[in-house]
Amino acid sequence: MIAEVETKRALTIRNLHKSFGEVQALRGVDIQTKPGEIFGIIGPDGAGKTTLMRILCGLMVPDVGDVDLLGFDPVTQTHEVRERIGYMPQRFSLYPDLSVVENLRFFADLYLVSKEDVAQNEPRLMDFSRLQSFRKRKAGALSGGMKQKLALICTLIHTPELLILDEPTFGVDPVSRQEFWTILRDLANDGLSIIVTTAYMDEAQLCDRLALMHHGKLITQGTPDEVTRAFGKRLLEVRSPDILRVRRGLDALHLPGINVHRFGARLHVVYENDEQEEAIRLTCHGYGAELEEIAPSVEDTFVALLQDQGEEAV
Amino acid sequence: MKAIFYLVQKEFRQIFRDHMMVRIIFLLPLLQLFIFGYAVNNDLKDVRISILDQDNSVESRHLADAFLNSSLFIPGPAAHSPADLDDLIYKGKTDITLWIPNDYSSSLSVGQEAQVGIAVDGKNSNLGGRAGGYAMAIIRQEGQRLRDARMLDNPLLRAKMKEIKTATRFFYNPELVSRTYMVPGIVVLVVTIISGLLTGMAVVRENEIGTLEQLMVTPITSLQLIAGKTIPFMILAFFELAFATVVAVLWFKIPIAGSLWLLTGSSLVYLVVTLGSGILASTVSRTQQQAMFTVWFFLVFGILMSGFFYPIENMPMAMQWLTYLNPLRYFLSIVRGLFLKGITLSDSLPDLIPMALLGIIIFGAAILRFRKTVA
Repeated sequence: MIAEVETKRALTIRNLHKSFGEVQALRGVDIQTKPGEIFGIIGPDGAGKTTLMRILCGLMVPDVGDVDLLGFDPVTQTHEVRERIGYMPQRFSLYPDLSVVENLRFFADLYLVSKEDVAQNEPRLMDFSRLQSFRKRKAGALSGGMKQKLALICTLIHTPELLILDEPTFGVDPVSRQEFWTILRDLANDGLSIIVTTAYMDEAQLCDRLALMHHGKLITQGTPDEVTRAFGKRLLEVRSPDILRVRRGLDALHLPGINVHRFGARLHVVYENDEQEEAIRLTCHGYGAELEEIAPSVEDTFVALLQDQGEEAV
Repeated sequence: MKAIFYLVQKEFRQIFRDHMMVRIIFLLPLLQLFIFGYAVNNDLKDVRISILDQDNSVESRHLADAFLNSSLFIPGPAAHSPADLDDLIYKGKTDITLWIPNDYSSSLSVGQEAQVGIAVDGKNSNLGGRAGGYAMAIIRQEGQRLRDARMLDNPLLRAKMKEIKTATRFFYNPELVSRTYMVPGIVVLVVTIISGLLTGMAVVRENEIGTLEQLMVTPITSLQLIAGKTIPFMILAFFELAFATVVAVLWFKIPIAGSLWLLTGSSLVYLVVTLGSGILASTVSRTQQQAMFTVWFFLVFGILMSGFFYPIENMPMAMQWLTYLNPLRYFLSIVRGLFLKGITLSDSLPDLIPMALLGIIIFGAAILRFRKTVA
């Protein structure tokens, strides 16, 4: 029995390849996730995230490799897979001319959820998504954040075991995004396995485990801590009212091994040794900028890893 | 099965919530029925005739009167010479001219062939052809009358006379009214538009707003999805069929001579064709506009090549062959036959069978393509 529990996996992906003509969307992807875990796939547009999600749902057949989703193969056991997953595609896709409750019940109907189960699930879902007071409103008249929440509860009405979300918070305001992630965390705590893709690096920190994806490959994966530990360099954050001037000054140093990135109104300077730190500090003080050594975020890691890869390629 | 019911229910909910859709469904058929029923008029009426009677005899006046007494012709401007007649036609002052030369009665009296000249304005070929035909018929009748009169003088032939006297009668549409011919055709059009056009657009709309992908990841199959998309428009098409038929019978007073069961049954076969075409069009279109134009493109060809306006027999041979691929041709023939002739099932088989074959091919292709697009 114990062995069974130990080997229980939500999703196992082995050596997945998929090409569209000349374009290689996936170039050997391996992932393993556990039940009740939020697994994030982080990467820029065109990394291959959506292709991966569509293969998991059985909407696409991979060229090479196999997928084990809750013990089923999406290619050959499509029906079994679809009964057990909830999928939220990248584009908001509910019926704008149907009301909130009509949309929800339509999906309940399609999954042949019994009337009793609907009666039980509906108030709960309406409640935690706080859509209760908008029951009668047309989905097309909802705000972006509310649409997203409605799409989410529509994928939850048949109580799936695994949730596949493709950039669920794309284009949603920061407050709604935060609320959305709180909901996801609650769902995961209740035992739901979640696979989520995002291009927002700040959301990566909220996953249990994550993989960084670039050009159809996973660059690294692990918990957010493990991923950032792979950073292997030091990081200084620079704040100044005239950040562009500071940046020009740092660029003019032409020191090898230093990389400067802009993070909103701040600069992140990646470096390797004390000698470099001294040079950076001197330059920044010259411009009256403030400096602070910080722990690298997932985004810093991602940028640094991409840079390394780029250098390798050169 | 239950999933199909829910899909249909949702579709109807959306249809009746869309004001534009409701207008298309209820107003469009009415407009078409009334516009085509009243405006498209190929009836011959009040054709102006100018007569030049240079013979001025009892016989020639009898011929001229035969024209003027027919319900078709009304007197046009007078002419004084054969050249005048041509001039009147050229200037568009008259539609048809009759020239009776001065040797008309004298030729007849010596038992020779008498000649008269008829000229028809061919600008409107339909009117020209039919008015000319009418004129020829009147002249033939006059010749018959003259022959009869001569025979009546012979007592031996008089007894046989009654048996060989001929009479022309048009079957199925005794008064040759356009409307009687057009309105059943419009019934066909209405059914075609509702089923073909709206189905195509409804499927593409799901694709446009992205819900198709959402539907595909539910456990429902692509066949269930097709059923859920086509059944609502099939129901609507039957509603339109009933509605248009009632208007045709009650308002336009067009008797329906055939069985309503055959009308329903053949419509069902035809709907397989149009619903399939709608799905097929949706698989090659990304937007609703594209779907609409795709369906419209084929619809216009289908209508022109169906015999709706112009008889197929008048088309060039190659075109006539092409019409055998046109499902509209068969259904139009069945519906007109049902309304006007009261054809039976066995009469309709030559149309019904090719139509069913087209339906199987088109719907089959639609299913295959649809599966490819969604998966």
